Amino acid sequence: MTRRSWNWSIERKLPLLFSILLLAVVLVMLGAAYQQVRHAALAFATGRLKRIAKTYADALPLDAANRRKQSAAMAADPGVQEFVMSGGTRGRDWVLAAMRRIAPDTSTTTVIEVWDTAGHRLILRGDSALHSDSAAVQPLDSTAVGPYRVRHDTLMYVEVQAAVRQGNEGRVIGRIVQVRRAVLSKRSRELMMGIAGGDVAVLIGNADGAPWTDLEHLIPAPPADARKSTEPTLYQRGEAKVGIAGTVAGTPWMFMVELSREQLLAPSLVYLRSMSLIAVLIVVVGAIGAWWVSRRITDPLRHLTTAAAAIAGGDLEQRVNVLGTDELGRLGQSFNVMASEVKRSREDLEAKVVERTHALRDSEARLRSVTETAHDAIIAADADGNISYWNPGAAHMFGYAVGEVVGRPLTLLMPERYQEDHRRGIRRYVDTAEARVVGRTVELHGRRKDGGEFPLELSLAAARTAAGTSFTGVIRDITERKRIELALRETNAELEAFSYSVSHDLRAPLRAIHGFARILLEDHGPKLDPEAKRVLSVIDENTRRMGQLIDDLLSFSRLGRKELETARVDMAELVRQVVDETRRNAGARALEITVGSLPPARGDRNMLRQAVTNLLDNAAKFTRKREPGRIEVGYQANGAEPVYYVKDNGAGFDPRYASKLFGVFQRLHRAEEFEGTGVGLAIVQRVVTRHGGRVWAEGKLDAGATFYFTLPGVSAV
Amino acid sequence: MTQPHEVEILLVEDNPSDAELTLRALKQRNLANQVFVCHDGAEALDFFFGDGSHALREIGVVPKVILLDLKLPKVDGLEVLRRLKEEARTKSIPVVVLTSSREEPDIARAYRLGANSYIVKPVDFEAFARAVSDVGLYWLLLNHPPR
Repeated sequence: MTRRSWNWSIERKLPLLFSILLLAVVLVMLGAAYQQVRHAALAFATGRLKRIAKTYADALPLDAANRRKQSAAMAADPGVQEFVMSGGTRGRDWVLAAMRRIAPDTSTTTVIEVWDTAGHRLILRGDSALHSDSAAVQPLDSTAVGPYRVRHDTLMYVEVQAAVRQGNEGRVIGRIVQVRRAVLSKRSRELMMGIAGGDVAVLIGNADGAPWTDLEHLIPAPPADARKSTEPTLYQRGEAKVGIAGTVAGTPWMFMVELSREQLLAPSLVYLRSMSLIAVLIVVVGAIGAWWVSRRITDPLRHLTTAAAAIAGGDLEQRVNVLGTDELGRLGQSFNVMASEVKRSREDLEAKVVERTHALRDSEARLRSVTETAHDAIIAADADGNISYWNPGAAHMFGYAVGEVVGRPLTLLMPERYQEDHRRGIRRYVDTAEARVVGRTVELHGRRKDGGEFPLELSLAAARTAAGTSFTGVIRDITERKRIELALRETNAELEAFSYSVSHDLRAPLRAIHGFARILLEDHGPKLDPEAKRVLSVIDENTRRMGQLIDDLLSFSRLGRKELETARVDMAELVRQVVDETRRNAGARALEITVGSLPPARGDRNMLRQAVTNLLDNAAKFTRKREPGRIEVGYQANGAEPVYYVKDNGAGFDPRYASKLFGVFQRLHRAEEFEGTGVGLAIVQRVVTRHGGRVWAEGKLDAGATFYFTLPGVSAV
Repeated sequence: MTQPHEVEILLVEDNPSDAELTLRALKQRNLANQVFVCHDGAEALDFFFGDGSHALREIGVVPKVILLDLKLPKVDGLEVLRRLKEEARTKSIPVVVLTSSREEPDIARAYRLGANSYIVKPVDFEAFARAVSDVGLYWLLLNHPPR
């Protein structure tokens, strides 16, 4: 809720922000202007003080110099000299007359005295209470003005110690001393003040300290550092003052002209006050303006907000009044366009939803009809392994009606020995998605309602949706298949026994025929005529052939039954062994066999050896009439399917019969030309096919033949 | 007539033609004199373990080699082989399995039971004669079974 208080509308925020900005600007400007004005006032006051000080520095020494001159003139008067020389006895009236000339009025010149050098006052005129004392009379040879003194609460100054000499150039015989009251007449004061201006105070006193006066009263001396400075100095005297000091030439006096700091700054304060008023006015007007502008912006925005809320609430007919062509106007237009778009999209969407719902319903109906009529059991279960769907096929297979199983666990359908594995498997899949049965087809056993077990094949699929994992299983009763498989196995066993019998029992009589025909020939040959011998040799030849046929047939049928024992087979090594054997069998015959590089294969070594042996025997047989016979064993990296080949320069074959080459008992040559049973190449084909490869041949009559075969899992060298 | 105590080769063969051919082959190598023929498995077992039906047999006579056909009436050749190799008295007699069968399970089983050689009887008489006489000679002349 505390955050809420900061969550103001633009209508409030905008003017506030603007006002704050305006206020900041005005304050800064006001401050700067005030500083300028204040600085100017100070500079002006400083200049004025300096000018006044200059005037005083020029004016003040005049009076003192005048008094000194009067005293000097009196001292130079021979009548006065006479009076001093006579020790005050002669010419007294003369002296008094001279004194009256200098100081006609005792209100300012309080005392005028004549002293001898021995320290005796010879004559005095004026208020004797204010006379000077001998200490104040300094033994000077010239005239001088003394410092201010306070005597009986009256500020005085001792003026002129004018030396009286014997004759004008003679020795000093006495002094004339004037003591004056340091009070300005009203007129003089007004004159002084007139020079300064009413607001400037003038202070006069001794350079080295008290007493000081403001021309009316005694005052404490200004601070020493202020007294010594000829630049404007700020100091406290009752209040803050700014003043400049000046010396009075020919005297030990100083004066100061000072201004009250407050007075000095008064104009700038007045300026500040009036400017502040204007600033407040500006801020107020600015805030009102900002509020008005923000209202102008936010009013349409509020309309938009209301309209947008209405649309969000579902009222797609809501529009806003568009006023003007500015950004807000365009925003309003865009909003209305957008609202129309939303309405149209919504209508489209609804139409699509209706359409899709129909399609979904159709598809669901189709699916349902499939699942309902399927002979297989189709069962769905949730992530806990509880049945959620049960088709009629399942009902038929397991004997439970839909109502009996939906919501119950799948373990109901299995023999006890599978149940724990099943529960673990479901947990594992739901937790880790590790699938051992999901996505595969496995053979298991099911348990019917009546408790009977039957073999089944389960294909399990899982779907992970937002609602969780669900499983769908398609179950086929494979009782019949298992029965057929068993029967097939039995048939195979019978066949094996049969071929065993054939191999054993058919060969024995043949052996007898062959053997006894030989005995007849060997033992009774001389008694037989040539025709009888020829017939016996035919018997001999055919029984031999029959034996070979039986052997070949048996090995061919054995190939079909034997399990493949797959391993890596070094084809180069295998071919080398077979080639050695072929060479041995060829004996003295000229036979050139070349072997190229051969990549290893994966397969049953014995079977592959049989196939290679047959191919080489075949090649050796059909090159028998060539001098020399040439055989080449090699390999072509034929793209993705590497090909081994055995090539010869033998009798070849008519390409029209190429397809018959690999058939059992199929022969393209007469037995007189090349012996054989027609099983060798059939064995090659069966071996290659059982490995998943292909075999084919290319050749021309009397121009050699090439036999090719591929084996899967061979990678090019 | 051959005397049992002189028996050097015992031929167990039900087929008279094969028996005759075998004997002829052995004869060509002058080996036929000490050959005794049993015509089925039961007779062969009688020869060694004598339950009475075989008149000529005398316990204690031991042939130097047995040529044993596998497919025999009454008791089959593999059974005979098993019995022979179980019995301490007959265990050391070399047994050459002599049969038409090239079926691999037979070969493997015969070796497992202790057969010393295995010969597939060829249809070709010369090859047959050569094989039989070679085996006879080998076991009679070159091999000296422990006494």
